[in-house]
Amino acid sequence: MNRLDYLVLIATILAIPLYGLWRTRGSASLGQYLKGDASIRWATIGLSVLATQAGPITFLSMPGQAYESGIGFIQNYFGQPLALIVVCAVFVPIYQRLKVYTAYQYLGQRFDRKTQLLGAFLFLIQRGIAAGITIYAPAIILSALLGWRLNLTIWLAGGLVIIYTVIGGTKIVSITQRYQMIVILVGMAIAFAVAVYRLSPDLSFENTLSIAGSMGKLEAVNFSVDPHKRYTFWSGLIGGFFLALSYFGADQSQVQRYLAGGSLKESRLGLLFNAVVKVPMQFFILLLGAIVFMFYQFEKPPAYFNQPAYERAMENGYAPQLTELQTQFDEVFAQKRAAIRAVSTASSSERDAAMNNVRKLDAEAHALRDQTKAVLVQAGVDPKSKESDYVFITFILQQMPHGVVGLLIAVILCATMSAMAATLNALGSTTAIDFYRPLIRPNASDHHYVIAAQALTAVWGLIAIGVASFASLVENLIEAGNILGSVFYGSILGLFLTAFFIRRVTGTAVFFAALIAQTLVFVLFATTNIGYLWYNFIGCAAVLILAPILQQTLFRSAEASAGV
Amino acid sequence: MSARDDNADARSWRKAYGLTLSLFAVEVVLLYLFTLRFS
Repeated sequence: MNRLDYLVLIATILAIPLYGLWRTRGSASLGQYLKGDASIRWATIGLSVLATQAGPITFLSMPGQAYESGIGFIQNYFGQPLALIVVCAVFVPIYQRLKVYTAYQYLGQRFDRKTQLLGAFLFLIQRGIAAGITIYAPAIILSALLGWRLNLTIWLAGGLVIIYTVIGGTKIVSITQRYQMIVILVGMAIAFAVAVYRLSPDLSFENTLSIAGSMGKLEAVNFSVDPHKRYTFWSGLIGGFFLALSYFGADQSQVQRYLAGGSLKESRLGLLFNAVVKVPMQFFILLLGAIVFMFYQFEKPPAYFNQPAYERAMENGYAPQLTELQTQFDEVFAQKRAAIRAVSTASSSERDAAMNNVRKLDAEAHALRDQTKAVLVQAGVDPKSKESDYVFITFILQQMPHGVVGLLIAVILCATMSAMAATLNALGSTTAIDFYRPLIRPNASDHHYVIAAQALTAVWGLIAIGVASFASLVENLIEAGNILGSVFYGSILGLFLTAFFIRRVTGTAVFFAALIAQTLVFVLFATTNIGYLWYNFIGCAAVLILAPILQQTLFRSAEASAGV
Repeated sequence: MSARDDNADARSWRKAYGLTLSLFAVEVVLLYLFTLRFS
């Protein structure tokens, strides 16, 4: 990175919050602080929802995921449009009609205080930790590659987010997310164009895609019903539906985004915008990864993309093994490049044999990278994040022109800041409205609750920074974050679906059903190897089945006294 | 808002949901054609 890159980076990440602070200057009522005001339109809501979901992992890891395993991950988003329609039709009208600040207030109104607190508590635990991971994941990669100090990176990015989120509340989060998302989309479009431009002139674009497809990188849709296949149309549609329904319907970090503005129409349009654009957006990000993969078929990639870890292993006395592997890798790379060129000039009858040769050499290159990783583990520099997370950022730093490098680092930081701002805003609001107001100061003024929400947002920000600062103590923390979400989401969704669709169930029955369901998920998590996406379904189904049973058996008297 | 307005509103939202689902179906078909062409 040179001065121009730093100029673009600093200008981008500072200008947006400063503009947001200017737009939200002046004091806000509790309603304005927690829900924004009527000036927030569907486009802002739509971009804000998109930015909250995307986060830095999308832009750092997705291209690397496609580089490694192809674009089949796109199918994980197939349940989302259906879930968003259900949220528009069922969840949003109820939240808007009851004029709630948080989703969990609805549980309090429909059931009782303890169920509201349980829903809010489950949300706070998993989002509080997830906020730390949101900032840790990009910070560890950027600090390793750019030589920045890890804790300084975490504190600078996190500190900036805390300051503007505390001051401006929901409105500033929506405004900044809108412009951060525009920067992200423009940055990724430029990255896509540059990556296509940098492809080898030896092959046409169509031929490049053909070869990438033959190497297994472009299978976007797979209708297999084999449960062992990781990404299929069916697992994406069904598993993705439950995950997206929990996330958009019952996670305050999203609920707060689409309740901003206060109009049912604007909320619904913002969500439907997401239902339409999410799949194409993810497709282009994954396709970018496949294009980077093809770029590195002609331009020699590093034997291991996490270069800082690689260099530490070299310094730790493992240079002879790594040099030997590098020599073998260079030979395989040269053979593979020649084999791909041979495919492009082969006749149709020779093409299959030529492609088989490419696939064989690609498998050899893969095996050499695995051996390199094994040496790194032996050397005691086993990296906490996946190697594929370093693919796209390495491509940016080594292949993009100056200025664009700064813009793309800004894209990653904008994604971090926007996701973290939404999370802190939701954590502060939920703690203030679901815990502080009813349990500690029930009859204070609006102004008092605004101050309380600001203070609690700041406290959650500091907790997130604390989690991020100690995150390196936990192995594979990014994956842990995804698992954590799935472990809690099922029970939370079960609470909401029971509230909407099973009218006879009262608070005590659903409260204990959710506790049992959550315990069941914990037990399954500790004792089995079920794929973690299934916890969403199991937790939700357990609440939906247990709540009516408990209602009809143990809590019949509660039903009678509640007049149900 | 009268009951007639409510019904008209509900109808227009159902159309919006139908349009969204149709666009999603088109996206999946295009992705499938992309898969057939390049895999």
